[in-house]
Amino acid sequence: MKALNEVSIRIHSGDFATLCGPSGSGKTTTLNLIGALDIPTSGKIFLEDKDLSTLSRTELSTIRRNRIGFVFQAYNLVPVLTAYENAEFVLALQNVQKKERQDRVMAILKEVGLEGMENRRPDELSGGQQQRVAIARAVVSEPAIILADEPTANVDSDTADSLLDLMEKLNREKEVTFLFSTHDQRVINRAKRIIRMRDGKLAS
Amino acid sequence: MVNKMAWRNLWRRKRRTLITSFTVAFGTFLSISLTAMGDYAYTNIINRSTTMGFGHITIEPMGYNDTPGLDKKITDVESIRNFVLQIPEVKSALVRIVGQAMFASAIKNIGGTFIAIDPAKENSERNIFISSIIEGFLFEETDGRGVVIGTKMAKKLNLRIGKKLIYTVTDINGEIVSEITRVTGIFKTGVDEVDGSMVLLPIDRIRATLGYKKDEATIVPIYTNDQRKTGKVRNVINRMIENPEVEVLTWNETQPETAGFITIDRGMNYLIQILLGLLIAAGILNTMLMNVLERTREFGIMMAVGMAPARLVRLILTESIWIGLVGLIFGVMITIPCYVYMSNIGIDFSGFYEEGSDVGGVLFDLVIKFRLYWESAVAILCGVFVLTIAAGLYPAVRSGRMPPVESLKNL
Repeated sequence: MKALNEVSIRIHSGDFATLCGPSGSGKTTTLNLIGALDIPTSGKIFLEDKDLSTLSRTELSTIRRNRIGFVFQAYNLVPVLTAYENAEFVLALQNVQKKERQDRVMAILKEVGLEGMENRRPDELSGGQQQRVAIARAVVSEPAIILADEPTANVDSDTADSLLDLMEKLNREKEVTFLFSTHDQRVINRAKRIIRMRDGKLAS
Repeated sequence: MVNKMAWRNLWRRKRRTLITSFTVAFGTFLSISLTAMGDYAYTNIINRSTTMGFGHITIEPMGYNDTPGLDKKITDVESIRNFVLQIPEVKSALVRIVGQAMFASAIKNIGGTFIAIDPAKENSERNIFISSIIEGFLFEETDGRGVVIGTKMAKKLNLRIGKKLIYTVTDINGEIVSEITRVTGIFKTGVDEVDGSMVLLPIDRIRATLGYKKDEATIVPIYTNDQRKTGKVRNVINRMIENPEVEVLTWNETQPETAGFITIDRGMNYLIQILLGLLIAAGILNTMLMNVLERTREFGIMMAVGMAPARLVRLILTESIWIGLVGLIFGVMITIPCYVYMSNIGIDFSGFYEEGSDVGGVLFDLVIKFRLYWESAVAILCGVFVLTIAAGLYPAVRSGRMPPVESLKNL
């Protein structure tokens, strides 16, 4: 049984797209492949003209660090780091200078509405606040694309709406490209582009 | 960032970290104690053995160590002695004649060994027989007729201070010659074999008896300021003295029984410490494995956002090193009071023995003390450090090898 079968997708810069479909349709597998977390058995994946399917583990790690952002459903953050340190995590991995890191992280935390909470650890933040930190971490490194796997699954509706407002704003004002994988109708309703999947294939 | 994360990760499981650290601490304490006990005891035994006659280093005639005999001698000994005294590590150098003789009194005669000395140059620090005199005194003339014997010999030959002792030797011409002496002093080392067979005689009297020239002797024993530098000093002397008729030996070679005992004991000590180290490593490995297995998804997320596997490996190794360091610090803290006490006062076991204890005829100190040489301390610290890295290696590599997509499936 193939997790994905003849799936061909093109995501454009500035897209606010979502993969949707029932459980087992291949949404997460597609996201993992685009996110360089997995390697296809056959076929190719291009990110900014680079074929990900030919890269080594180390090269894929570099791609993820520099060109891809992730927002997961839960347990996004490093528990021993503060909100500030979690947000600057990828910049630190990129060896960005400390001063520049500080400026960018403080700006993005303000952008996502967490000004004043820089020194709180994840266990001192609500679910929604933790997701905001995750979004800040994903955006601050200025990736080519942000992949969000069920980002609203573990939060209440009001929080989900405010998270979606934030991501829409980032897409609109900063042209951040988002690709969601979700069951959440609220996300589907807000997406500019919907890619439906069923049984590992694209559905019409 | 890695150091900071590693340090904080340790304290997510405080109890586990503290238990593991205390394991390391206790192991460090035991390792330092065993090593310090050994360093003190071995140094003590070596230094005592050198006072039995041959010093830390001995210059002697070629072949003398294998087949000692009074026909083998060194010439120009005072020049050699003065030459050697210029070496900074040499504390003292003496000239002695050592040989076998028959010792007779009115009632009996027995075989033994004599050491002929210049009393003006000898002292109790270099000569155990002098330091062990319990009755009378050391003779003062180098050509006099004084003699110092052990308590057991005095008992066997029914001698006391002032009584006559006759010794008989074979001189350089192969003639049997005898001399009369009077007992001026009696010593007791506590080792029956030594007290029953060793005798001190004046060196110039022996020279005259044997037919030696003024500047001839059988050995030049040399005393260094640190027994650990024996090998180095021997090499220096070898370069200085280019004489094929003479050889320079260290205490290992002149006291093989003592050297053998120390080697075996040290080997057992190392074996115990290796086993100790393995136990500690197992504890660290267990802790680190649990730490890694509990955080599989967390590692998946870190790798997903771009942390390279090598960096993750470094993170886990750093956590292991931190545990080792914390344990080491605790270990030093609990060791210091014990070390201070043991190095100054020690534990006295002499109450358990009527007479002294000896190793190959060398009496050793029954007060157990500590002495840690700096190189031993460094070796222990490095050993603990290497151990913690080795124990953390498997969990670290394991964490880095798991594909991120597999790690993310864990909850």
